[in-house]
Amino acid sequence: MADKGASPSNDPVDVLIIGAGASGAAIAWSLTETRMRILCLEQGDWMSSSHYPTTRNNWEAQQFGAHHVDPNVRALDVDYPVNGTDSPIDVLNFNAVGGSTIAYAAHFPRLHPSDFRVKTLDGVADDWPVTYDDLEPYFVQNDRIMGVSGLPGDPMYPPKQLPLPPIPIGLVGETVARGFDRLGWHWWPSDSAILSQPYEGRDKCLNLNPCMTGCSQGAKGSVDITYWPEALRAGVELRTRCRVREVTVNDDGMADGVVYYDADGRECFQKAEVVIMACNGVGTPRILLNSKSKQFPDGLANRSGLVGKNLMFHPVAVATGVFEERLDTHKGPQGCCILSKEFYETDLERGFVRGYNMQVTRGAAGPLATAMKGLAGGTIPWGPGHHEQFDRYFDHTVQCLAVCEDLPEECNQVTLDPELKDSSGIPAPKVTYRLSENSRKMLAHGLERGKEVMRAAGAVEIIETPLLRVGGWHLLGTARMGADPERSVVNGWGRSHDVKNLFIVDGSIFVTAGGVNPTSTIQALALYIGDKIKANLANLFDD
Amino acid sequence: MENATTPAFTDAQLRRLSALQDTIVPASEDGSMPSAGGIDLLAYLSTQAPGYLAELAGILDRFDDPFADLALGERVELVRGFSESDRPAFRSLVFRVYDAYYQDDRVRTAIGARPGAPFPGGHSIPAGDLSSLEAVKVRGKGYRR
Repeated sequence: MADKGASPSNDPVDVLIIGAGASGAAIAWSLTETRMRILCLEQGDWMSSSHYPTTRNNWEAQQFGAHHVDPNVRALDVDYPVNGTDSPIDVLNFNAVGGSTIAYAAHFPRLHPSDFRVKTLDGVADDWPVTYDDLEPYFVQNDRIMGVSGLPGDPMYPPKQLPLPPIPIGLVGETVARGFDRLGWHWWPSDSAILSQPYEGRDKCLNLNPCMTGCSQGAKGSVDITYWPEALRAGVELRTRCRVREVTVNDDGMADGVVYYDADGRECFQKAEVVIMACNGVGTPRILLNSKSKQFPDGLANRSGLVGKNLMFHPVAVATGVFEERLDTHKGPQGCCILSKEFYETDLERGFVRGYNMQVTRGAAGPLATAMKGLAGGTIPWGPGHHEQFDRYFDHTVQCLAVCEDLPEECNQVTLDPELKDSSGIPAPKVTYRLSENSRKMLAHGLERGKEVMRAAGAVEIIETPLLRVGGWHLLGTARMGADPERSVVNGWGRSHDVKNLFIVDGSIFVTAGGVNPTSTIQALALYIGDKIKANLANLFDD
Repeated sequence: MENATTPAFTDAQLRRLSALQDTIVPASEDGSMPSAGGIDLLAYLSTQAPGYLAELAGILDRFDDPFADLALGERVELVRGFSESDRPAFRSLVFRVYDAYYQDDRVRTAIGARPGAPFPGGHSIPAGDLSSLEAVKVRGKGYRR
């Protein structure tokens, strides 16, 4: 329990949001119309587009260091370590204003309608307490604010309009689309939070390629340049380099604030009427589990015992096709091109339940990454023969990722590491995860179908990656939604069953994972919860 | 950018360094690609990875003076021995040699990549042919509610 009296005082706020990433930004913006005093604490800094790697000659090398997607490799002072030794998939994130949207690919699909009803449709896991239709207006609102490009008419979704036309699919998209066409499989240009045209003061994409080191052009929709400017103008306060250690509770078992370390390492107490967690599916359970008290000896909001449990990633298998013709794969948004939902919906004849998205990406970025991957994979040697093999792969490789739906299992979990700590002395998260048999079968199926489409597209060689280790982008399910307090952590609008003034709005509350990148749905859900809070403001804490 | 922690490299070390770079990335047989031996690795490291200079000095001391005078095939065998005896150190060295090499404007031009930083020049790519999507649409609704 924190010594609230010993810390520097801060004026109480009405709403305290922890985390300035995708969901924290969205709900901060949503709540501005209430005129409440809203404060967001973010452990990272503001980023500056003029300092992103693509403004420098050594842009590629920075992907292996200060801009690596793995916090354990990056190891900046704003990062916290993650013990992932008991997981075949590494946790990836970015800590800054904008959170992981700074470093995401901006591949921006929505979850499908069936993803919210997996129990009813397929007899597995649980249905969500919200539906696609509940979230549909918030998808639209979020697409408008983030600036989403895409092509209407995809038969794999209910009709939807997007603010901007699709980004170019280029030679890569054309080539692989021919493969899908030959097989008679579905394909469609990706919905992308990347501007295909100038939009609301931001300029269009320059096809720089490495979106995941931050967008120097500002064409990628990271929330530091979409939601936050508007939220700040509307009066939200955002404090950077403030690392929350725990959420505190009063004698009534209500959250009354947080203990955090400020930029100078001082321990501070911030009082708040409402606390909103927006720290992603690893960061949120980490703080809740570290928030132990007399009322909550197993961690805050954890009477169900499910905080940290049911961790879901999207396990990814990759078929990399090597083509004789040059496809300019180092040009264009790396992670956004075309996709296929041919195997998204359940077909039990495949040997598994649920399905996966096939995401076609534009290769291994630049020459350094090509050469180093070739070295690691034994395809491009150092020494004699280097150039011949380099020429074979650089600008000639395309990846087809099978992004598989993971189902919730309590054995897959985030706990507090008993020894590892961050630079503030806060226990680090430990991830314990194993692939289920269903996920293994799905990965194997996705890899084979990826190889099939690459062959159909004309690939002369295929490199297989059965499971992508550096693939733990999507951190979901560790504080799940539900109506039953015994089987869920928050209710259908993100409020803790146990602590009525504590909300969670990040990917932790996903009931199931779907088979697509989750940021669009995370943000739509945060906006939905924001509206529920506003609608229930007069009796927000009532049963 | 010399500083107190930057080791002073001897002429012999510099010769070995150039030969080592040339071994890791020799010139292409058709002469279209230069060897990495002509890249000023020390200048690159001094600005972009000064912390690596001391490690590099240690690596260079693993090779004898005659190394620089050996034929490529003989140097390859010696470097292979190094790579097998200390894989992490070798990978770090290769990473630095590749990074410096593929940042060089002549090299980038030769491989068909834009010299310099990607921003603000960017790239142009074709929109791509979307006409076959009509056939995809004809297959009808593919989602469940």
